[in-house]
Amino acid sequence: MVSVDSVTSGTQTNERSSATKNYNELSKVAAEEFKYWLNPLQPRIDIANDTSSLANGSDKIEQILKEIIAESGAGIDIGHVHGYGMQSVHPTVSITWPNGTKILYGPITPKRCSDVIQETQDGPSSHLKDLVIGQINGEPGEIRSIRDHPFFSCEPNERRLLANLGITDPDSLNHAIATGSYKATARIIGRRMPEGRVRDSLIAAGLTGRGGASFPTGVKWNFLAGAQGNDHYVVCNADEGDPGAWVNRVVMEGEPHALIEGMLIAGLATGSKTGFIYLRDEYPLAIARVERAIQNAIDNQLLGKNILGSELEFNLRVIRGAGAYVCGEETGLLSSIQDSRGMPRIKPPFPAQVGVFNLPSNVNNVETYATVPMILRHTSEWYKELGTESMTGTRVFSFSGDIQQVGFMELPFGTSLDKILDSCGGIITPTGEQGKLYAIQSGGPLGSLLPSHSIDQLILENASFGPWDAIMGAGGIVFIGEGTHILVLNELFSEFVEEESCGRCTTCHGGNQRQTEIVRRIISGGGRRDDAPNLKLVDDLLQHSNCVHGQFSPKTMRNTLQHFRNDYEDAVAGYDPTLTLSGMYELEIIDQTDPLLDEAATICPKGQFEGETGNWSINMSGCVRCGACIDIAPNAIQKKALARSPRVIPIG
Amino acid sequence: MPLETESTLRIRSIIKDFKPNNGDLLAALHAVQHELGYLSKEALEVIADQFKMFTAEVYGMASFYDEYRFDPPARTTIRWCSGPACRTRNSTGIRDAMLATLDLDEMGEQTEDGQCGVVLGQCNGTCEIAPMVWIEEHKAYEIPVGKLTAAKSIKLVRALRSGSRIEDVLNG
Repeated sequence: MVSVDSVTSGTQTNERSSATKNYNELSKVAAEEFKYWLNPLQPRIDIANDTSSLANGSDKIEQILKEIIAESGAGIDIGHVHGYGMQSVHPTVSITWPNGTKILYGPITPKRCSDVIQETQDGPSSHLKDLVIGQINGEPGEIRSIRDHPFFSCEPNERRLLANLGITDPDSLNHAIATGSYKATARIIGRRMPEGRVRDSLIAAGLTGRGGASFPTGVKWNFLAGAQGNDHYVVCNADEGDPGAWVNRVVMEGEPHALIEGMLIAGLATGSKTGFIYLRDEYPLAIARVERAIQNAIDNQLLGKNILGSELEFNLRVIRGAGAYVCGEETGLLSSIQDSRGMPRIKPPFPAQVGVFNLPSNVNNVETYATVPMILRHTSEWYKELGTESMTGTRVFSFSGDIQQVGFMELPFGTSLDKILDSCGGIITPTGEQGKLYAIQSGGPLGSLLPSHSIDQLILENASFGPWDAIMGAGGIVFIGEGTHILVLNELFSEFVEEESCGRCTTCHGGNQRQTEIVRRIISGGGRRDDAPNLKLVDDLLQHSNCVHGQFSPKTMRNTLQHFRNDYEDAVAGYDPTLTLSGMYELEIIDQTDPLLDEAATICPKGQFEGETGNWSINMSGCVRCGACIDIAPNAIQKKALARSPRVIPIG
Repeated sequence: MPLETESTLRIRSIIKDFKPNNGDLLAALHAVQHELGYLSKEALEVIADQFKMFTAEVYGMASFYDEYRFDPPARTTIRWCSGPACRTRNSTGIRDAMLATLDLDEMGEQTEDGQCGVVLGQCNGTCEIAPMVWIEEHKAYEIPVGKLTAAKSIKLVRALRSGSRIEDVLNG
């Protein structure tokens, strides 16, 4: 189909044709700056600066490195980039030498900081050989390319949306422009590309919504463009509330200008002058970074009035959420922007008819908007080269749970989950040994729990999850190893959907309350034979809720009854081989001579240890089963299953 | 609206740039909570006045969201991550251990002297350090502490309870 390159210029106003000139000027300045970023005059250490790196102490590493540089007077610069993807080796640094070689190292501990400085001065692999992850840029040398790292083996050779992650400074507009940002905007404005063309090329590329529902983006934009009136709004759903998914965070912290340009193009393509980014409160760094990027764009005439010198206008604002999961539902989100409770309402009318402030609006996910500019920069055909027939292109996925390497990857749709688990280093137990897969969680609390044997048949595509009564969701996938009972996860999700129900539908707030009660009772050892039929009743009832929150909230429990029936029935009968359900085990002291027992007795938060050294006993009546004493004296105290035979279900 | 006092004037100055029907209420509530630590009844009245709403409407809106508090926060708040990656690593044990150590019945409570409180937190995708908590002091710091065990969390909470400085607790 069309790419912006192939659009021939129509009649142009002078303002419009000057857009190309203005962009070229910006681009020239940016290219000059970026050249010295890639080939600096003196070596530069880039410290990964994102939520995950900071949680792993990257700020401390930066401080130490700066102190050493100041003390030694070494000619070394410090820069910032986003982490590359492997969060388990955070905090990372990358060193860029004047010849353009850029190598990624991690994890960096305070003790190794002086080695980082030495390495910077003496060249690659001189002092930090053991911490090399891979080479990001420069002439191939002895060190393997980061693209050959096993963790990235499922990624395409070249990343698309995350192409600049770990290379550019996300706070720099010049870096963004130098790597192609706003190029598509300049072409759309400068060549007077008809609005419909943009939407057609998205439809041709097969871009679908990344929030989970996978609705074709171009079609959605057509609704807004065709809506009544002149005042339309573009809204970005950045309320990424699914626990275990942090795809939007990566995009906003790593490529804020991709999102901003995507929304700007949406504005141009649908005749909207205002955009809102509804960003969750749990991502303070993303909020700061996106707000800074917006300001930078305004300062350079890329947002606000007279974009690139033309008559066009688009204003963008960040709305900071306040911790309500249900605001991720589009009508809940719209109502939250309008100074009220974030309660979803019945559709229709759809947001394209009645949205923010009762005016037509379009709501898309962060990644959907962020993908738009690159489709227009390249071509729809190029975009479709990766992915499957029904889901084209790539998307970012985050992987966590009991795996060796926690992190995020940009993967083509259709990648097999089995391969992904391999590239994550497989399942590990809490003690660090190789473990076995027990369950796969996708799609967050309103998503699914899949059994381990499903992994051979699962690929990253909605259709592949369908036969398991599952959804792929918004990009977060959690691998769970043996050693955790499925009901532990059911409790988590039941509790979550109950807490986060907006309270409008009785089916949802009442039904979820009931579901949580039943799950908790089973966990505490009080399972009953009619629990399964009752859970089924709750499930049926929840289908009558108005929004997807209620309709999808019993899904994980339903999956448990479908795919983990034996484990469920054992638990109802009071038998749990994993010993993670609090009502199904006791603690037993097996070695009174262990010297660690005395400490275990003092750690008990309830003071349930009775006796004295050499003669301890635990009073189980007050025990909260936190496991602290086992943490201290693992060889002296162990869990013992309560004596009940498996799979004999009590009546009543 | 009752007579203006020094504190109502202060609240007014915090929210002076926010306008009604402009999608500003969430931001106004954030701003006031950031300055005062929580949303007092007085603050809600002033905000309602500014936004031309009833106080009950503002309270109704604010109470819908988990992040807004209507009582002063504890000196040190422990935000416990409730995500799935933490859950497979005994995070419920950590939660129960912390609550038991502080003698609290449930999440959201704080000790009688206001020294420590435990609140529920949401996953922000730093699952490589699961199970984790965030230790917060209003306007001072918010520090993620990861790779916890129940025993470590009890030691952490006991130290914070006794008023130790956060730097000493984490380095010691």
